[in-house]
This record gives sequence, structure tokens and C-alpha cells, in this order.
Amino acid sequence: MEPDAKAGMAADWERFSHWLHCVCIVTFDLELGQAIEAIYPPHVKLTEKEKTSTCYLAFPDSNSGCHGDTQFTFRFRQSPSRRAIADVIHDVDMPVLLQRDPHYFYGYVYFRQVKDNSLKRGYFQKSLVLLSRLPFVNLFSSVAKLVAPEYFEKLEPCLEAACKDIDRWPNPIPGKTLNLPIMGLVIQVRIPSRSDKFSACTLKQDICENMLPAPLVLSSVHEGDMFRALQPVLPHLQLLWELVLLGEPLVVMATSPAATADTVLALVSSIFPLRYSSDFRPYFTIHDSEFREITSQKQAPPSVILGVTNPFFVKTLQQWPHIVRVGDLRGPADASKQTKIKKVNKLRSLDAKPGVYTSHKTYLTKDRAIIKRLQKGAQRKRPSEVQNAILRRYLMELTHSFIIPLERYVASLMPLQKSITPWKSPPQVGPFVPEEFFKSLEHAGPQLTSVLKGDWVGLYRQFLRSPNFDTWFRARHSEMTQKLELLQLEALLRAASLWSCLYRPAV
Amino acid sequence: MALRELKVCLLGDTGVGKSSIVCRFVQDSFDPDINPTIGASFMTKMVPRNNEIHKYLIWDTAGQERFRSLAPMYYRGSAAAVIVYDITKEETFHMLKTWVKELQHHGPQNIVVAIAGNKCDLVDMREVQTELAKNYAESIDAIFIETSAKTSINISEMFEEISKKIPCVEPCTNDRPSFKLRPLQLESSSSRCC
Repeated sequence: MEPDAKAGMAADWERFSHWLHCVCIVTFDLELGQAIEAIYPPHVKLTEKEKTSTCYLAFPDSNSGCHGDTQFTFRFRQSPSRRAIADVIHDVDMPVLLQRDPHYFYGYVYFRQVKDNSLKRGYFQKSLVLLSRLPFVNLFSSVAKLVAPEYFEKLEPCLEAACKDIDRWPNPIPGKTLNLPIMGLVIQVRIPSRSDKFSACTLKQDICENMLPAPLVLSSVHEGDMFRALQPVLPHLQLLWELVLLGEPLVVMATSPAATADTVLALVSSIFPLRYSSDFRPYFTIHDSEFREITSQKQAPPSVILGVTNPFFVKTLQQWPHIVRVGDLRGPADASKQTKIKKVNKLRSLDAKPGVYTSHKTYLTKDRAIIKRLQKGAQRKRPSEVQNAILRRYLMELTHSFIIPLERYVASLMPLQKSITPWKSPPQVGPFVPEEFFKSLEHAGPQLTSVLKGDWVGLYRQFLRSPNFDTWFRARHSEMTQKLELLQLEALLRAASLWSCLYRPAV
Repeated sequence: MALRELKVCLLGDTGVGKSSIVCRFVQDSFDPDINPTIGASFMTKMVPRNNEIHKYLIWDTAGQERFRSLAPMYYRGSAAAVIVYDITKEETFHMLKTWVKELQHHGPQNIVVAIAGNKCDLVDMREVQTELAKNYAESIDAIFIETSAKTSINISEMFEEISKKIPCVEPCTNDRPSFKLRPLQLESSSSRCC
């Protein structure tokens, strides 16, 4: 068989498929508009709808002068006709946040727009998009950054080589530090595991001092520069945390998809280790197949976080309760002086000043110390890794303080060990009674671990009605039920062996 | 003992046996029906050298013409390059000379070059005379060795020669005057920057 024919066969691409679905090249065709020029590996199929989504999401929406090279991330729902992917064994040990998304694709885009008089349009406009189920934003953005510029110069063979490299990568096994060779470089990254301590263990640069050339060490597969993304709205950090925690409809407006994507992804991960369970779109366009559903004015806005750049949305989403307006993230950081919360109806155009437009009153009092600390750090040019570590730690502790009382209460719903007998069916996990939970807060509330004052009960009350609570509670409930069944089975086995001992016929 | 990672790339015409040399060196195996490489394949192997361990990061590039333009990605940042020709095919020796020129113009400074005349077990079919190739190698200050991946001749010896010729990080017992390596990663990152 010819090697080329063989390369197209699915069986050859098994390892590749653990990382990526495919690579798409999206170009601007004078007659068709955005069009897919190539899909690699060639055997991979996308439905027409998925192709359309990829095409629109691969390019900036407005002509806001994304000149040169731009990188951003998008996420869209797979076609309903596509079967959900089967569970992958090593996913079980992956932190929930990083498990592969069975209904969504992530797209990691590298877009280039440069003047080129040799082309009829006068411009070279092309995107390389990595489609994956894995939310490894940092890793795949780095991969796109390595591959795309080479591809734009060297074309097809480069794509072939890159995909072949990925097809030789070891599987993404949680807890492992992997060396991932690609395009003449080795990327070193650790896949997080569920059993990680939360003090994120990062690879130290110093272990590879003697390496020539140094491998590209990524401190994380998924974490981006959260501080830079949230800096324009830093004074509203807690307010945003509350909105995300409560699953409130939220729209992020900016002039570039890079800015919206970074901000949306930072918001979604702000409630880590809790999973944000509603839909989120780092970059959303008017061409989305769910555009009508999501922006319908006939019903209340759904629980979703959208990132938009098209000025059209200012009007379409005017009844949305919370709007975050960020400037160009690469611009000066004076936006963080916008400490006042503005009324939504003040937002008339995309040129509006950066800030948060909402009528939400925070339940918790503001913690000025953390904001001051981060702002001072920015003034003193503290390294971004340190700023990020401070910010993530703060948010994680806040989420922990919030979630620990819930964990404690739910643990108390577990039936007592003695109620498990081999003679009866397993006892049930008790019902979640909000009033009882609120009562438990008096002696074991978040005041034990957080200095923040305010209406914690009010925050819990609204949280209990949110999709985030629903997902969290379901997961806990099924874990506990499983444990009960296991205990019951053990009790049965003990009884059975006792029985056989007692009634063993004398030899 | 200090561990030192060294990037090494294999260059040369299609079918001269680059992948077979790497397979023999890393896995001590030989497959006469090996498939043509796509892009480049990557393997590693540790070799002790004085008070260091050299970990070779080997990029075995595709010899086919259509992958030709990708070569800079693989020799960029390399401490050594092995250029392979087939002693039974004269045109592969000419191809070798174009690779040498490309490295001289665009490759990293101080890159150690080794020239390997592969398939030396096929003496009856020889088209490139040893002396000719040896003289050429000397003229460009390259290591010269005839190898056979099939019969395992001179494969590990070649990598030993390369190890000897690679300058130490600190002054040590080396037959060449040692000097500080310039940070090659800087070069690679700047050229990748967009």
C-alpha cells in the first residue's frame, strides 16, 4: 500500500484522537466567504453544521483591525446527530474541570491577517484551528502558536508532520509529566490529576537548565493568564465571582475575540474547584446555530456566559442583567480604576467604558485588601506567575469557604453505619432540607474559614436554585449512594461467610 | 552525574537509511521494510560521557522532497547533525553536499556535523569511494564514518564520536578547547516569535 493512502486511515490516528479531533484550515474565499480549506487527518468527518460553526468562529467577527496574528479559543456544541463520545478510561482520574466535554468541541485558533497585494482581496486571511474535546487551553494555544506560523509558510507537509507528531504522543494520563515532541521541539507539561493537592504543583524551570535546547515547559495544561484577563474588572472581582457561582446570565463584550475568550475562560475557572456547569462560549457570533435560542427576547436570558465582539449584540442583549465590558487586554491597565458599578441601561455601544454593568448587589462585603495587593503588584511589575498564583489562591479559598459547609451538611445526610444490615435493602441518603442546612451554618458556617462578612445565607439561598448547585449535589448524591451500595454488599458478604462457617457440615 | 539533553537531527536523501540508523541505535533492531518517515520521528537515548550523561533527543527527518522545507525546525537548536548518504547511490552523496551548505548558511553555529556513509555492508554495489567522502568530510571539519544499520556496523561508534566532539558546559577533559555554548534556545524562541 502507498504510504499516503495509508496515512488517511482511521486506525493510524488512534493516539492523535486522544488529544485532538482534527485540525482545520479556514480561509476567506471571495465567493463563499469563510470556508474550510483543509481538514487533517483527512478521514475525520465534521457535519455541515460543525463546519459552518468552525468557519465563523475561526475569524474575528468585526473588522476591528485584528492585524497581524491573533490567538483565541472558542467552544461550540457538536451536532445533535453526532453520538456523544464514549467514556475514556483515564478521564476518571482527571479533575472534573478538565474532563473531556462529551457534547462540545473546543477550538484553538491562530488567525493571521496581513496585507498581501498578490491576492485579489488584498489581504491574506487564514486561520489554523485545533478542534479538541479537551479544555487544555494553555497547551493547545502553545501548539497552535508553534504550528500555525510554520504552516502559513510551508503549507500541507507541515500540517502532516505536526499531526504525525501528535499521533506519537503518549496518552494524556492524569498525574503524569509528559514530553510531547512537536515540530522539532519538546513540550513538557504535567496532566493534572483528581488527587492533586490544590496548591497546583507546577514544573520548575530549573530542572532543565542543562538541556540544549531547553524544552518548552508549560506550567499548566489549562490555566491561562487569569490576572491579565481580569485586570480590567479587578475591583469587581467578588461581584463577578458571585455571578459565576450563581450561574447568572453574563455577557462579556470586547473588541477582539482574544479578549472575550480570555475573560470568559478566567471567569469560568474563578470558582475552581467547583465546576461551572452551565454553557459558556468564550467567543460567540450571530451565526451560531443557537443564536436565536440564547438571545431570544421572549424568555429570560439563560444561564450562560457569552463572549461577544459584534456591536450588534449591544442591542440584542440589552435586556441581559449583567454585562462585563473589557478593553483590549494588551492596552494600558487604567481601566482597573473603574471601580463604580454601572447600570445596564448605561451601556449603549461597544465603545462604552470598561466596567461591569449590573444591578446585582453583592451578598458579601468587599475585600479591599486583595484588590489593593494585586494592584500594587501590577504597579511594581510583579511577575505575572506570582500575580496569578495570588489571585487563584484567593478565589480558591473563597470557593472553599463557601463549599465546605455544604460538604459538611451533605455528609451528615449519609445514613449511619449501623443502619446497614444484610437483611434489608440499603438505606437512602437523606433529603437536602435547605432550612436545616441554614441552621447548620450558625455553628459551622463559612465564618470559620473566611473573614468576609455579609449575607452568606442569602448567597446560599440563591445558589441552591442554581445549575451549579444541582450538578454538584447530583455528583455528591451518586457518590454517596454508590458508597452505601458497596457497604451493603460488604455486609452481605460478611453475613454469607459467617453463615457458611456456622453451618459447615462437620467433617 | 549531570544530565545533558542534546538535540540531534538526521538529514539526507530519501531511502538512505536515516530511520534505520536511529532504530539500530535506540532499539538495536532492523526492519528492511520500514515505512518512509512523515515529517520527522522523535526518539531519545542516553549515553554516558565523562562525568555527564548525554541524553540524545533525536529528530529523524523525512527525506522526501515535499518535507524538505521543514528541515530548519529540526536543525534549529541542534547540537549535532548526522547527514546520511547511501554508499551505493552516488546521487545521495551529492544531496549530502547541499545539506552541508544549508547547515553552513542557516544552521546553528558550532553544530557538530557527522557524515555517515550507510549501507557499507553492500560493498559490491559501492558507488561512492571511501577516500573521496573522507576527504570531503575533513575539508568541512566533519566526523566521517561508514555505517551499516542492517549489520550494526559503526552505529554506536558514530554517536560516541559525536559525544566526544560536543563541547562540555564546564571545562573538562576534552580534546578541543572548551567554550561556553551560546544559549541556543534564545535563537529558537526568537525565530518562532510572531
